[in-house]
Amino acid sequence: MRSMLARCLAEPRVRVGGGLMLALLLIAIFAPWLAPHDPGEQDLLHTLLPPAWAPDGDPAFLLGTDSLGRDVLSRLIFGTRVAMHVAIVAALGAALLGSVLALIAGYYGGRADWIIGRAVDVWMSFPPVILSLILMVGFGAGLNNVILAIVIVDWTRFCRVVRSEVMTVRRRDYIPAARLAGFTHLQVILKEIVPAVTPLLLTLISIEMGIAVVVEAILSFVGLSVEPNVAAWGVMIADARQSMHEAPWGLIAPVVGIFVSVLAANLLGDGLRRSVDPRLAQRLSVLR
Amino acid sequence: MLLEVDRLDVKVRLASGDVAVLRDVSFDLQPGRILGLVGESGAGKSMIGRVVAGLLPEGFKSTAQRFRFDGKDLLDLPAEQRRRLLGDRIAFIPQEPLSALNPVLTIGRQFIEHLARLGVPRGERRRRATDALTEVLLPEPDALLDRYPFQLSGGMCQRVLIAMAFASNPSLVVADEPTTALDVTTQVHIVSLIRRLQAAHGTGLLFITHDLRLAAHLCDEIAVLYAGDVVERGPAKQVFGAPRHPYTRALKQAMPGLTGDRRPLQALPDIMPGIEALGRLPGCRFAARCPTADASCAASLPPLALVAPGHWVRCASACTSEVTAPSTIASEASGPANGKALLKLDGIAKSYIRGRITAVKDASFSIASGESVGIVGESGSGKSTLARLVMGLDTPSAGYIELDGIDVTVPEPSWEKRISLVQMIFQDPASALNPRRRVANLVTQSLEARSRAASEAERLKRALELLGDTGLPEGLLQRFPPQLSGGQRQRVNIARALCAEPRLLVADEIVSGLDVSVQAQILNLLQKLRREHGVALLFISHDLSVVRHLCERVLVMKGGEIVESGRTEEVFSRPRHAYTRELLAAVPPDDMNKPWPPTP
Repeated sequence: MRSMLARCLAEPRVRVGGGLMLALLLIAIFAPWLAPHDPGEQDLLHTLLPPAWAPDGDPAFLLGTDSLGRDVLSRLIFGTRVAMHVAIVAALGAALLGSVLALIAGYYGGRADWIIGRAVDVWMSFPPVILSLILMVGFGAGLNNVILAIVIVDWTRFCRVVRSEVMTVRRRDYIPAARLAGFTHLQVILKEIVPAVTPLLLTLISIEMGIAVVVEAILSFVGLSVEPNVAAWGVMIADARQSMHEAPWGLIAPVVGIFVSVLAANLLGDGLRRSVDPRLAQRLSVLR
Repeated sequence: MLLEVDRLDVKVRLASGDVAVLRDVSFDLQPGRILGLVGESGAGKSMIGRVVAGLLPEGFKSTAQRFRFDGKDLLDLPAEQRRRLLGDRIAFIPQEPLSALNPVLTIGRQFIEHLARLGVPRGERRRRATDALTEVLLPEPDALLDRYPFQLSGGMCQRVLIAMAFASNPSLVVADEPTTALDVTTQVHIVSLIRRLQAAHGTGLLFITHDLRLAAHLCDEIAVLYAGDVVERGPAKQVFGAPRHPYTRALKQAMPGLTGDRRPLQALPDIMPGIEALGRLPGCRFAARCPTADASCAASLPPLALVAPGHWVRCASACTSEVTAPSTIASEASGPANGKALLKLDGIAKSYIRGRITAVKDASFSIASGESVGIVGESGSGKSTLARLVMGLDTPSAGYIELDGIDVTVPEPSWEKRISLVQMIFQDPASALNPRRRVANLVTQSLEARSRAASEAERLKRALELLGDTGLPEGLLQRFPPQLSGGQRQRVNIARALCAEPRLLVADEIVSGLDVSVQAQILNLLQKLRREHGVALLFISHDLSVVRHLCERVLVMKGGEIVESGRTEEVFSRPRHAYTRELLAAVPPDDMNKPWPPTP
């Protein structure tokens, strides 16, 4: 619905969060053109340079260099690629797995609901960081395995919330009405229930993107994600850790990157929730 | 004079400017008398109660020449003094008894808190509470004080609230639709209870209701409101017996009767204007729907004119136009002419939680093609469960259902066949219409199902036919349900059920949420559809007069059982079962000379 989009865009959180997220995506896509240097290129004559505006800074290295003389800005820009890749694929994967199970549980109820509900309970009783570390040990390092681990750990978030929404929609009379119009169960789910839970799903996906960025950073920090020669924010933090007292900027840059992406994801998610939640929307229209 | 209201105006600030939601409202209430405020939803009747309580919503402002309670001007009174009057001298009985009580506190706790606020000494509170509950005829009042609201029925909760309202011996009680959420047989008890307490305490009562007939029996005087104007005010029996304003007349003729000849319902076109539209209506706000209005009506608001002693009417032509005697409907010749049963239920039962809860037991009846059968009963009598069983949305625990000669007891194997023969109109269109689908898409939903997928053009063509059938303007095709009025939504709901051209329509309480004038439109529509399409009807309702108007045969249900059945006229004029008699006695009669509510 057009009005729904208009209402979302009228919400400042959506505009700020969405704008930041879009900017991050563009940076990720156009990284090779935006980055002034190759992120792996070492310049051992210029190691641990401070940012260009500081004394001793070099205008060729805008945010300075790390201990191997690699350009921090270029690594930051290429790190966005890794972060966005993981954020999008992992969030979509978790959303898909979680909501398919949620639709089955919420629509059919009964035994299916019981089994899926208990699976979620058991899953959620594992501390997520430990669970993902165990999974990484099992799968081995690598970006795709990080995505897999996030999906396997975080589908429960989607499953719980979407299931309760499905159950609310299921109780509405338009569901039996669709059955009486001759819809099969699958048609009812796809044409009546999925559209009703989509706004909520978008909100959850947006928030999950922020979570995925942090998880990827943690795993690449401990060396379980990308190859050590690939520029990722977690790798950058790990590299800068040794020299953080003499060259803190190497640490600050990736932290800012993580901070901005999580902020963007949360603002966008919160804004979407505010503009699509009928209860909140109603309250606003009453005030108007 | 207990309450003296002179030229009360309530305005609300909207984006388009200030709009008067109440205009020039004047009335008096003497101690010990009952004034009824009658009107459909949106008429502004509850707004008057809110002005008395000083609880106007944000953005609303009230001004009045005089708004005196017991000589004190309520609108000028400092907030602190005004608050002291409320609860002590002025008490309220709310519409939703269950939501008016705090669910996590016991009845006793809430009652005693209320008494504490009234200044009753600590030692006396429990005894006073018990006495008050005894006065409202609640059994075992002492034990009741330790119960929680959810352990009580709606009627019992309302009694508790009535006891609380009268506990301070107030001089004015404002009751806002106190029986709307209750069953008819409960309503009769609550109304007679309110009347008894009011008479015993000499209380002035402001009774707000949408039910003209109920108000006419209960009240000494009534004021009829339409879109914020008092259109008619006078002695209750006179206003009901000989209404002078075209709106009051229309309201009366839109109600089906429980006795006498069946007459066609005169449905007003359209609906009452909403708040946004009020600003554009400087004159008589009823003019657009009025059968006697001329051009001058919409231009200026006529004053309230005295037409008989104490009887005021706000209409330019009220005194001249005569009441036309409504014609009667010739008893419909349709019915089980061919005798072949379309739907047959035999010994149907449904129980839940492994037989521990029985919703329906041993229900047997049949419906012939083109016949109209009503089911009446109170909430929890199993009416809706029976509808779901007929539709195949639930599987019966025992018994046999036959549809057009085939066994459909277990829904799955005969689903396609069943839904081509029977369709259902759901009770609440707000819930039954997917808010994300457009009207055109909703009414043709059965063409969307895979087995008979239709093209976009075919669907649009069918949608137009259906809109024509149900009297909806074509302009609504591309609207979403939340953009429609309640009556329009119910028509869309009906149109969807008609799409697959079923031979039986199951309608579950489809007019209970509608205002009287819209209800008449829907009832007339159902009759037209029966005439034109020859469709049979299973009509479920708690409203006996509606069932009498629409159905040739009736089944009376109580506690999951059909306790009486037969031709509607016979059952209603010579009821055999005690419960049917109780139901019939609970309805306020048309005849003003019959005493109602019956004195216990």
